[in-house]
Amino acid sequence: MKASRYDIFMYGSIIGVPVLLILITIGLYLGGGYAYTVTVLAALLVLTLVVFAATGIKEIYIHRTYPGSRKVFGRGTDEHASTKPKVRKGEEVDIVLDRFNNETSKMDTKTYKFYADRLTTVLGAILDIKAYQDNTVSIRCNCRMGICGSCGVVVNGKPRLACETNLLNAVENRRVRVSPMLGHPLLKDMANNFEDFFEKHRSVEPFLYREDERERESARHEYGQGSEDLSRFLPYSYCIMCGLCLDACPVVNSNPNFAGPQALSQVWRYYADSRDQKGKKRLFDVDTEEGAWGCEFSGSCSKACPKGVGPASAIQMMKGELMKRIFEDK
Amino acid sequence: MELLDYDMVVLGSGIAGLTAAIHASRESGHRLSIAVVSKLHIMRSHSVAAEGGISGVLYSGLDNDNEKLHAYDTIKGSDYLADQDAVEVLVKGAPDEIKFFDHIGVPWSRRDDGRISQRAFGGMSVPRTAFAADKTGFFMMRALYDELLRYKNVDVFNEHFATEFIMDGKRISGFVALDMQSGEVKVFKSGSVIIATGGFSRIYGFTTNSYSNTGDGTAMAYRAGMPLKDMEFVQFHPTALIPSGILITEAARGEGAYLRNKNGERFMKRYAESKMELAPRDIVSRSIISEIRAGRGFEDKGTGMGYIHLDLMHLDSKKIDERLPMIKEMTIKMLNIDPSVESIPVRPAAHFTMGGIDTDIKGRIGSGKSVFSGVWAAGECACVSVHGANRLGSNSLSQCSVWGRSTGIEAARTAGNRRTKKTRKFLNAAEKEEKKIYDMLEKEGNLNPYELRDSLHDIMNSELYVYRSIKGMKNAKKRISSLLKEFPDIYVADKGRVYNTNLRDVLEIKNMLDLSAIAVESALRRHESRGAHVVAEYPKRDDKKWLKHTIISKSLGGMRIAYAPVKLTKWQPEERKY
Repeated sequence: MKASRYDIFMYGSIIGVPVLLILITIGLYLGGGYAYTVTVLAALLVLTLVVFAATGIKEIYIHRTYPGSRKVFGRGTDEHASTKPKVRKGEEVDIVLDRFNNETSKMDTKTYKFYADRLTTVLGAILDIKAYQDNTVSIRCNCRMGICGSCGVVVNGKPRLACETNLLNAVENRRVRVSPMLGHPLLKDMANNFEDFFEKHRSVEPFLYREDERERESARHEYGQGSEDLSRFLPYSYCIMCGLCLDACPVVNSNPNFAGPQALSQVWRYYADSRDQKGKKRLFDVDTEEGAWGCEFSGSCSKACPKGVGPASAIQMMKGELMKRIFEDK
Repeated sequence: MELLDYDMVVLGSGIAGLTAAIHASRESGHRLSIAVVSKLHIMRSHSVAAEGGISGVLYSGLDNDNEKLHAYDTIKGSDYLADQDAVEVLVKGAPDEIKFFDHIGVPWSRRDDGRISQRAFGGMSVPRTAFAADKTGFFMMRALYDELLRYKNVDVFNEHFATEFIMDGKRISGFVALDMQSGEVKVFKSGSVIIATGGFSRIYGFTTNSYSNTGDGTAMAYRAGMPLKDMEFVQFHPTALIPSGILITEAARGEGAYLRNKNGERFMKRYAESKMELAPRDIVSRSIISEIRAGRGFEDKGTGMGYIHLDLMHLDSKKIDERLPMIKEMTIKMLNIDPSVESIPVRPAAHFTMGGIDTDIKGRIGSGKSVFSGVWAAGECACVSVHGANRLGSNSLSQCSVWGRSTGIEAARTAGNRRTKKTRKFLNAAEKEEKKIYDMLEKEGNLNPYELRDSLHDIMNSELYVYRSIKGMKNAKKRISSLLKEFPDIYVADKGRVYNTNLRDVLEIKNMLDLSAIAVESALRRHESRGAHVVAEYPKRDDKKWLKHTIISKSLGGMRIAYAPVKLTKWQPEERKY
């Protein structure tokens, strides 16, 4: 086992202070010219220690806070293949995590110190804290590239994907606060429970409907689709089911029965797809107070969507189509 | 302990798993009770990260393409280690899979006449990769998820982490899983199980893969006595962002992007004169590392990582917006680099594991007399093998779909005869596993699991990377075995039951350690250079001695290593030049 730089700082401080005291004592005992030399030496030592401690403690804070931690390995032999920065430079940020405690049903707020560089993401920081400061932190994540939709959280009050939010850009007053979404039931720490959300999605029957189901299942010939037809539904098919739009929606937050922007955007996605043959029946199914008409058009869902889906516009177009029906009936 | 009884269970929810569940349900007329069990929310599997597209000869004759040519490209790309009968199954099935996805709603990018577009890809003679912008895998996953919602006979178990199979000799009778949401251990009883748990590139620190790709199903299969094949072959994708490892699709080069070194030179002309940037991935990755080693790369100051430039600046910005929108979005969000104005810093990262559970052409595990009963593997976790020593880009989505379908249908057809009984032995095995999981949660220890994981990452990153050496691999073997010895001292700090990601991570780390040891052992023994496996001491391919698959299985004394011949049908091995 090899001692790391951080150990040297730590043990350096522990050994250094008594040595310093002894040197001063000797200086005082000898008096005169010796005292001057020894005091200068002591002052230099103090200075070095302060510098070491300042840099050293930072590093200790990041890497060595785990109580039982004792393993230190040398880095890889191929200098190009090292995964972790050898020396972590960066800006000190307080990361405030609102951690939902499922046993007390209360929010435990904890602050962690973190040293971020210009590429650190909020997710990266939380996972580093989990690895080296507090193993008990939980967040849901997977792809870390903004496509799996796992890590929807609230960063400084704004609904965001943790993996594609740059930490230093999010800093306000040297702090970043990360909380779970409140538009979904809480599970643990920053992870939400998605069961209701998935059920809402399922309830609008989000799948292609064809009159000839047998032909659809056999899939012998491709359906043609012009680029204009494609562009009509393509933006709405970008939904990654992260749930951020529901968190942002003021209606969902006051009326949990509202189908919500995600499910409604998917109604439009399949309605606008030229391959779908369910036609307007899709829209009639959500022609209700808890469907399309529940939307009060605050537009916050479209603003929150990290993939530019724009559920708000989908719902307004839906309302427009449904209005036509009223006039057609007359 | 809750016992869940199903006619059939699909373990894993990527493209292979969901395809299997859909076709099994259809095959049975939606009568079988089917469970899909995943450690994630099922729509969030790593398949969503597939960007470039899915290969298949959609329009035979167009651009002079045909299935035979697709097969030849794949076999040559595999450095002749692929089983050629399996490759023929792949190329024959692939076009139908693209149409299947058309019929469940994937928004394929189209030609002007409304037909599906196809783009160029590395190692493919002609453009034959169908795509939906650069989010192909994501769109396929969403379509599969939505399609699955139709089927009332399919139950979905989100965030259930499977830990161990329960076997009855060579028959499967189920597995144990930890329900992340409640923290309860459950046992799934089923005589038919399809393993579709994906690859294990997360054994590397620098990888394009999602956090979930820890090879749990592969490690479970090994511990249950099933053989693993060709575990030494790991594909390194040439273009991953530094320092995160996030994938920049090969489609970028397919659409015309260049690779440049420090001197602004398109260095691929030195290594693959005719294919240039579109040579297969093993060759491009080696070329990049050679450039970096020769001092013609850049060095990232923060991490010390060497890299080269991927250059899209000469491409029409409209083309980037239309065909590579995600690349643009990601480089801007992650690196603050607009690819139409600046070059992208990239280096090779672990991307795909060609090796996996040893299956035959039908996805059954094992071969000859020792075939396991009631259990199949499909997708990246399986090694049929169609990719041999090096996979061609966009062949994996076809593989996942083709074998997802065939194993699903096969399992559904025979599920009726495979119902198992709830025996005392079965329950004992389940209870033993439950106790093991809870013991792990409660025991004392001194070791931070994440430090152990990072040590493993360091070993794999440096010793089993693009260029390997016997000396380095021996060192890796020693260090991994010492990590395995230390593992029992690991400490789970989170003592809660609900959504305990700390406990899950520890179980994953064990799986990764097991697989790393196997990969290193397989690699150490292959004394030749083939495809993605290049050893300094043995720089040449050696068809006389090594045209064979490595098969590793568990035995009392540790690993048992055997070799199996490669199936050649129409194509004899020849020199591989691009």
